[in-house]
Amino acid sequence: MPTIAIVILVLFSAALAGVLVARPAATASRTGKILAFGVLFFLPVFALAIGMENEMERSKSTAFCLSCHIMDSYGKSLHIDDPSYLAAAHFQNHRVPADEACYTCHTNYAMFGTFKAKMGGLRHLYVYYLKKMPLPEDIKLHEPFNNRECLHCHLGARSFEQGATHNADPATLPAIKANTLSCISSGCHDVVHNVGHWGDKVKFWDGGS
Amino acid sequence: MEAGDSMSRRLRISGILVMAGLVVEALCLMWSRPIAFVVLACVGGTLIGLGVLFFLYSLVSVAHHHTETSGLTHDKK
Repeated sequence: MPTIAIVILVLFSAALAGVLVARPAATASRTGKILAFGVLFFLPVFALAIGMENEMERSKSTAFCLSCHIMDSYGKSLHIDDPSYLAAAHFQNHRVPADEACYTCHTNYAMFGTFKAKMGGLRHLYVYYLKKMPLPEDIKLHEPFNNRECLHCHLGARSFEQGATHNADPATLPAIKANTLSCISSGCHDVVHNVGHWGDKVKFWDGGS
Repeated sequence: MEAGDSMSRRLRISGILVMAGLVVEALCLMWSRPIAFVVLACVGGTLIGLGVLFFLYSLVSVAHHHTETSGLTHDKK
């Protein structure tokens, strides 16, 4: 449901609640009682549920993550014109949905993963508003990146399963799948955002979304 | 009559709480910032929740009042 439709529904519910506040005697009749139940129970609960759902969906968007200025450099890193930059290569080639790029890689593909991702987001807000903000290059992940998040898409893909490097040693592929050999911190795909280490030669690609 | 006034007052209070919560929700939905999510959940959600709970409590307490009143009537008989 578009945000504007939800806003209209919410304001309509608020207006009906206002009518009851102004004229509580209207609930004296049977119809009035049913109206009161709708206005003071059903509509607010429904409006809150769809409003929260809308906010949850919006919080997955790339624009949402990049709306804090501390994330500017991370947003810029998605446009680096160099395929060795993992985040840029995924974003520019639409290996992840461009409008949910941050969420797609940084969520947790386990049970309650979305909830954990949102709790992580709340921790970001806490630091952003109530603590001393770190420099963008000093931002670290809460915990080491789990291969599970990569394998959510790459597991079973031919490029991953039959990749020359992945199969050079028969122990490599099982180790990756067991998360004992990290995709991004074992010297293989370790150039991700690399904020603060771009140097002067890095170029940016302005195309795409 | 007294019960009616009390119910009206409770309806007003729950209506005001729900209305305030819904207005907060509408503002948060139009305010595209991460803090809006927290304000919606903490302030809007709390106000709406309190309003709804107070309304339900009003219904229960009025029903309880009616039961007590009819009980008294039966005792008098």
